Amino acid sequence: MLSKRTVIGLLTAALLSIPATVQGAEKVRVGYSISRTGLYAVATPVQQQTYELWRDQINAAGGLSIGGKGKRQIEFVSYDDQSEPSKAAQIYEKLISSDKVDLLLSPWGTATHIAVAPVVERHKFPLIGSTASTTLVRDLGAKYMWFTEVTPADFGGDLPKLLGSIGIKRVAIIAMQLPLALETKKFLVPALHQAGIEIVFDQEYPPDIKDMTGLLTSVKGAAPDGVIALSYPNDSMLYLSTAREVGLTAKFQFLEIGPTEAFIQHKFGENLDGIVTIGHWSPDQKAWPKARPFYDAYKARFNEAPDNLDSVVSYMSAEILQQAVEKVGLNHEKIREAIATGTFDTINGLVRFKGATNVGTPNGYLQIQKGVPQIIWPDQIKTADFQPKGPWK
Amino acid sequence: MLSFQLLIAALATGSVYALIAVGLNLIYGTMRLLNVAHGDLVMLGAYATYWSFSLLHVDPLIAVPFVGLLAAGIGAAAYFFLFQHFLRTGSLTDRIEANSLLVFFGLSIAIENLASLAFSGNPQAYEYLDRVIRIGSASIVGNRLAALIIALCTCIGVLLFFRLTTLGLAVRAIIQSRDAAEIVGVSARKTYLLTFCIGFGLAGMTGAVVSLYSQIWPFMGFSYTIVGFVIIILGGLGNIVGSIVGGLLLGVLETFGVAAVGANYRSILIYGVFIAIIIIRPQGLFGTKSTAR
Amino acid sequence: MRPLHDVRIIIAALVTTAAVVVGVLFFASDYFIDFATSLAMWIALSESWTLLSGMTGYVSLGHVVFFGLGGYLTVLTFGMLPIWAALALSGACATGLAVLVGFPCFRVRGPYFVILTFGLSEFVKYIVVNVEARASKFGRLIFGGPDPNEVFLIMVGLAVAAFFLSYFIRRSRLGAGLRGIREDEIAAETTGVPVARLKLIAFGLSALIPGIAGGAFLFRSGYFEPIQAFNPSISFSMITMAVIGGTDDAYGPLIGAVALVTLSELLWANAPEIYMTVLGLLLVVFVIWVPDGIEGRLRNWWKTQRA
Repeated sequence: MLSKRTVIGLLTAALLSIPATVQGAEKVRVGYSISRTGLYAVATPVQQQTYELWRDQINAAGGLSIGGKGKRQIEFVSYDDQSEPSKAAQIYEKLISSDKVDLLLSPWGTATHIAVAPVVERHKFPLIGSTASTTLVRDLGAKYMWFTEVTPADFGGDLPKLLGSIGIKRVAIIAMQLPLALETKKFLVPALHQAGIEIVFDQEYPPDIKDMTGLLTSVKGAAPDGVIALSYPNDSMLYLSTAREVGLTAKFQFLEIGPTEAFIQHKFGENLDGIVTIGHWSPDQKAWPKARPFYDAYKARFNEAPDNLDSVVSYMSAEILQQAVEKVGLNHEKIREAIATGTFDTINGLVRFKGATNVGTPNGYLQIQKGVPQIIWPDQIKTADFQPKGPWK
Repeated sequence: MLSFQLLIAALATGSVYALIAVGLNLIYGTMRLLNVAHGDLVMLGAYATYWSFSLLHVDPLIAVPFVGLLAAGIGAAAYFFLFQHFLRTGSLTDRIEANSLLVFFGLSIAIENLASLAFSGNPQAYEYLDRVIRIGSASIVGNRLAALIIALCTCIGVLLFFRLTTLGLAVRAIIQSRDAAEIVGVSARKTYLLTFCIGFGLAGMTGAVVSLYSQIWPFMGFSYTIVGFVIIILGGLGNIVGSIVGGLLLGVLETFGVAAVGANYRSILIYGVFIAIIIIRPQGLFGTKSTAR
Repeated sequence: MRPLHDVRIIIAALVTTAAVVVGVLFFASDYFIDFATSLAMWIALSESWTLLSGMTGYVSLGHVVFFGLGGYLTVLTFGMLPIWAALALSGACATGLAVLVGFPCFRVRGPYFVILTFGLSEFVKYIVVNVEARASKFGRLIFGGPDPNEVFLIMVGLAVAAFFLSYFIRRSRLGAGLRGIREDEIAAETTGVPVARLKLIAFGLSALIPGIAGGAFLFRSGYFEPIQAFNPSISFSMITMAVIGGTDDAYGPLIGAVALVTLSELLWANAPEIYMTVLGLLLVVFVIWVPDGIEGRLRNWWKTQRA
């Protein structure tokens, strides 16, 4: 069976193999790289689908408005970086200097964004990052790169505030030995100490872990009332099935990445209820009028809900680019100026940048309630109250 | 330390490991081919089960043997189109391990990427037998228990096949000494074909079993292949009983070992044990000197 | 031994390389320099791999361990050591590691050696993962390394060095001894070839340039993260290039790297999965039907032309 994505992929491939000149000059060419094969390929489809949705929405509405002077259809130029950040850097080099695209969208993943940063800086080509979260680049002083996602300093550092507000005193931490988890942990641990929350268990595990029974039995033995798993999708899945088996009943259970992924929702259904994860977006937040239409359009097109994090930050980056171009046209210097100084209305509220950091979008946490991710913290954007995790079913 | 919960988990993980290793080792034992694409057959088996469940509503437990047969068919095709020639060409059999490793590696890349093209990179999973079952002081999710039982029964079935049937005896004879076996009238070519079918079929069945509790995606196979290789070294190359025991042992290492030394040392522990055994006892834990070259 | 022939080849190769390098530096786009850097790196890596595995038949499936180690040492010493010293240290430590692990590894042969080298590289990878996690590091980013043109020159230097190392070893007594090991190790030993020592030397030499290349690669990417730096697919790529090109002479890996890096450049752009599938099938076809590689076929064709 061929999936829709495959068919689109094949068509795109077929189209791209036609020389650019044949396609006419009026189209705006937007380039990006994404990991379609290799280690990251498991996580990238949501981002790619979001880009496709964005392009088709714009094109259906007549095209991308260029500085208010007429609209042009969008055409993607995209390549596979095979989950190798150095290859992604090569691809952006190619997109800029050999394909001469008009605009750029971001690749998937923190390491990939980091690899691409020097390239766009050298070419003074504005790029709005999305699915990347690190403080390493924040301090870089990048002039042509911005990030729509908040950093691990936020979702590590803020977590004790959430814990304090719901009365959690003793936590266990388990962390995957990969950059995002380790960076989150670096900010989480001192913040826990400062908040006077006791760490009763603290262990890391390697990316190729296959069984968590030993680990979670030890966690259970430490009797925490909150478990913080700094995890990625595959091990989130492992955590969920094993926590049920060993009967881990802490009332607060946090998984860093995974609970919003479609395949985990299919697999665990109502057992996902009560799990907390990172995320600052919900289609139910009325303060963001664009949120619900985005959710509905995505669901209608791909027959699954958008990812509350990756789809959202990718869509935001595209929205910001679109609004900047609408205002100033395709001149890169002017776009840079517009992004650096402007305020943008996105599906996740108003965004503005200070340096490379998005200071408009607050950090937040989601909890799955009755199968739907709800924002439970902070108060100003929350869509539901925290509920203690009930027994596993 | 010696909790029943850990033991059940060790069995659940270990029995699936054993199933992977048996198929892999069978093909190595009879033909000295290192099948790096073994994990990709697991992947195909997992997808086949997933679809028959989600599109045709076939019960995964019923699908297991059919998926096995399908994979066995792929094994036969691989034998006829690629390895028949391979096993007859002198210059290739000279350095057969290295050459077969490369051929299977090529197949592995091709299969993974074709799968990614055809099935999309989106991971899949389905909900099946999703109740926690209590056994004494331990609990296990129903789908993992089902996986444990099927894997263990299949391993025992394979063992009985090799102990009790003439065909099984022929395969064992070839493993022990190809020349001697041919003298007493065992057809090496027929045995090779049979082994390809059984080895690939077992890989497909493993996929069906794994899909019960795990996520399915085009690049999932490699990690299973690696596990398989670690085990057949533990148990001894070409030693079928050794792979089953080795698989269970690795399951124990994965659960009790992690509980003892800490999860962060999990991979160092597993690869450390693996390296130590290869250097100290290259014939495997249970092998006699003669099975090692 | 045909000294005159050799000298002519060396001069021709050096002049051609120099001309290409100057041409690239002056006329090529940044993108092309990037491409050329990666081409040079793959030539250096696959040539180095054949020094042990092509010549002795001991197939190493873990050569990425030297590449990753080089990258790790370079990132650790960045800012403390001058670049040339960091690269030299990387090369020396990679060689040292190869000799050190060579003692136990060469006790086993065939499939055991193949899987052992793989296990070893994973073992080292997870040690580095743990050391980095213990040091509260979540990937390391470096700024202010050499610019892309310098990295390009370093890689070309490594490719040239690897090519000549491979070229001359094949024509030396060492090479004859190593080939003896491949044909029949026991026979070679009984005729007085110091088998154990030759294997260690070959392993050490084949680790040297990958170690340096790992360091140089770090300057290109600017980011170190152990899971990526020790990615087993790097080992597999070296092997694929060497096998498709042919491992009987130094031209083989060179041809293989050029062919595959170019093919990848042409194909992945538009159809990544198709590129990878083609790559896999090419590997199958070459091992079974063209075991002496492109280079072997060319050589035979050349011979029949002249006959």
